[in-house]
Amino acid sequence: MNESYAGRKMQKDQSCKEKECKGNPPVVQIKNLIKNYGSKGFQSRVLKGIDLTVLKNDFIAIMGPSGSGKTTLLNILSTIDKPTQGTVTLDGRDITRMSNRELSKLRRDKIGFIFQDYNLLDTMNLEDNIALPLSLGGVEGKECVRRARELAALFGLEEHLKKYPYQLSGGQKQRGATCRALVTEPEILFADEPSGALDSKAGRELLECFRKVNEERQATILMVTHDPFCASYARDVYMLSDGRIMCRISRGADRKEFYDRIIDVQTSMGGDFSWE
Amino acid sequence: MGMTRLAFLNFKSGFKNYLSLVLSLAFTVLVFLNFQNMLGSDAYKVLGTRNKEYIDILVGTASFVLGCFMVFFIWYSTNVFLARRKKEIGVYVFMGLSNQKIGKLYLIETMMTGLSALTLGLVLGMMTSGLFQMILGAVSRLTVSIRLRPSLKPVLITSAVYLAIYGVFAWKGYWNIVRSSVLGMISAAKQNEYVRQKGIWLFTKAVFGAGILGNGYFMALKRDGNVMGNAFLSVALVTAGVYLLFGGMVPLCFQTLAGRKGFLYKGTRILWVNNVIFRMRKNYRTYAIVSILMLCSVTALAMSFAMKGRYENIIRFENTYTFQLMSSRDDLDHRARTLIEEESEIALSSRIPVLCVDGSLVKAAENYSRYGFVSYSFLRRLAEDTGMELTFDEPEEDEVFKISHPYLMSLAAERPDVRIFINKKEYGQTGDTSTPYLGYLQESMSFYVMNDREYGRLRPLGEELYTYNYRIRDLSRFVRARDRLDELVSDTKDNYTGRVAIDPESNELDWVRMLYSICIFMFLVFIVAGGSILFMKLYNDAFEEQERRQILRKMGVDGKTLGRAAAMELAVAYGLPFGVMAVSSIFSVGALAKAMSMKLTGVNVVSVAVVLGILALWYGLSWWAYGRSGGA
Repeated sequence: MNESYAGRKMQKDQSCKEKECKGNPPVVQIKNLIKNYGSKGFQSRVLKGIDLTVLKNDFIAIMGPSGSGKTTLLNILSTIDKPTQGTVTLDGRDITRMSNRELSKLRRDKIGFIFQDYNLLDTMNLEDNIALPLSLGGVEGKECVRRARELAALFGLEEHLKKYPYQLSGGQKQRGATCRALVTEPEILFADEPSGALDSKAGRELLECFRKVNEERQATILMVTHDPFCASYARDVYMLSDGRIMCRISRGADRKEFYDRIIDVQTSMGGDFSWE
Repeated sequence: MGMTRLAFLNFKSGFKNYLSLVLSLAFTVLVFLNFQNMLGSDAYKVLGTRNKEYIDILVGTASFVLGCFMVFFIWYSTNVFLARRKKEIGVYVFMGLSNQKIGKLYLIETMMTGLSALTLGLVLGMMTSGLFQMILGAVSRLTVSIRLRPSLKPVLITSAVYLAIYGVFAWKGYWNIVRSSVLGMISAAKQNEYVRQKGIWLFTKAVFGAGILGNGYFMALKRDGNVMGNAFLSVALVTAGVYLLFGGMVPLCFQTLAGRKGFLYKGTRILWVNNVIFRMRKNYRTYAIVSILMLCSVTALAMSFAMKGRYENIIRFENTYTFQLMSSRDDLDHRARTLIEEESEIALSSRIPVLCVDGSLVKAAENYSRYGFVSYSFLRRLAEDTGMELTFDEPEEDEVFKISHPYLMSLAAERPDVRIFINKKEYGQTGDTSTPYLGYLQESMSFYVMNDREYGRLRPLGEELYTYNYRIRDLSRFVRARDRLDELVSDTKDNYTGRVAIDPESNELDWVRMLYSICIFMFLVFIVAGGSILFMKLYNDAFEEQERRQILRKMGVDGKTLGRAAAMELAVAYGLPFGVMAVSSIFSVGALAKAMSMKLTGVNVVSVAVVLGILALWYGLSWWAYGRSGGA
């Protein structure tokens, strides 16, 4: 790895420090997050003290080479995994100290998930898939329908609502999964390689949708990706390496220029950035 | 690695998955072995010599039903197994294995499964046969000498029959794989891709199903024309109707419900209603099969209850009087009483004159060489003397009322307007009763009650005989009292006296007890089979459900909510066949009630309740398995 170049680049992009508040309240605050795997004596440290604040209306991409810890970080943030040390505050509460029951409720009400392989339920049509979290959360039937259809319209899916997942293209499925994640109006949306299984056109359409909900509906998005093109749709990109945040790159007015800068930093950091 | 070793490793690693199949097949073996043990038991051998004709018919029928059941059950289980294995071993195509080799792998695995099931079934069968015979003996009150030592013959017969049937279906599976296209085997893994079915197609099936089922129910209760033919037609129509009901009406209802979002978006309904629709297309045959099996089960149990009741009724009927004299003399009562009372006190007695008319002068539905006619006033006096109820009024001059006896079962067509002709005069039969006014005599002769005046008018046509009927209190004195009464028997021109003695220890009707014990056996077979088929299916579904459960958990759906949804889904899976069975049983038990001329509503309710109780146990077992396999 070309560390000297990477170091210079980090200074230039004013990264590797917690960003300042821009007037928006914090949604997620991560402090000194450490995660070890393995049993005593044979432990390996995957996350080595991450500090990060996600503000309301942020659109953050986390990139890093294979084994850098980005999936582990996402798993902890999305409450699927527990950290060894450190705190993660979401909606003012430390999620590392919550019971399983509280975590389930938190996942249902405050967090939206988008998975690489869509994870739509093949037993129900798209409309029911989108309305599922609302229905299980006790929202009244008419309201479920209204909100599901409104989001479907925003994502260009209104004509496909009666279709089952097997009748949809990959892009439609992922946009449907995004609708499902957003329908409860969560505090934050976590996306794990959202365009990983899509062709370039479908991936672009999805990322445009992400940008739209971030700008028009003030959604807060945190996505993990290996793809610089995908990351270039975010407003901030955090580069993770060897369990630490190495730098932050912020987008300017031009996405193309942002994409080039991501590529530069990626090249300077070296390592295997291929899709895990 | 050789194919046998590969098959063994597959079998070993996937044993948990095949467990439900092994258990189901083992159950089939257990049932057949127990049946063979029952036939081989000494008690039935004793019965066999006394009631050989009946026993042979019973055993033949039961063996046929059980054989059909075995073929069907093994066919079903191996089909389910084949569908699953095709999905899994289809990937061997990519490793360069030919269809023949994949088929061989399947065949070896299937034989391992079959042999494990046979071993398990035989062991469990031998362990439970004593218990089984004890239960049946207790239910039928037959004195069964229970041999706990297993005998070789039933084991050999069971193994041979099972292996023959199983071998055929295993070979059929092998042949299916050999003839499968590569694409067919690979696409077996994509069977779940079709969810919603076209409304118009479902509607058509629903309409046809309702019509066919309704006709089946109607034919079950129809008692004119060819009753046996009606019964067979009814079975065929109800079976087809139930298939169409689950293939049309039920999915149509659920799809309609799913379309009503106000209903669907309420709690866990969105999960379980959609799951039911998703599974209905491939599960509807199972639901239909289970409904039919449960219907057979409930009918068998109802028949058992009814047979038991009828048997006791016949025994009570036949034993109304211990001795009956029929004589041309009207002064025998005092002498007969004296003779009997030397041995035992008389508990009940009656006497009544009967006008016996030669069969050539009477034209009735049944042909007898002699017919008996009784005057209404005399019968009323007899009823008063014996405390029996007289349930009908005095017939008009052109009417008769029949006194018959309880039948075990009758498949004769119902005739609403029965007429009889006596010396060319026509009489309308206003009804019949099996109240034992004349006891056992009612079984050997056709009796009619008539108006007093008409009785007097007909008197010149025949001979008036006097019947004297006695029931003794101390039945242990039966033989001695009978011997004494024999003094009165005479066959001279001016004194004809015949005697009927009903041995209270007679086991002439013991074959009926065997009939109801076989019915209970069949009930157990059908209910366990129905339950295990459903259990097997739901167990497979639970495996498929694991992935969806993971998604839902990631979305924040807690275990309790998933559990509630699974509980509802299972309730639908068990509830639907139960509901169809409960409704259909009204007609099947109704048909039985008609054949036996008795009210079986209570029996129907109790039988359905028993099935419900057993299904509740199956439900609990499925719930437990669902939780363990990750479905809940």
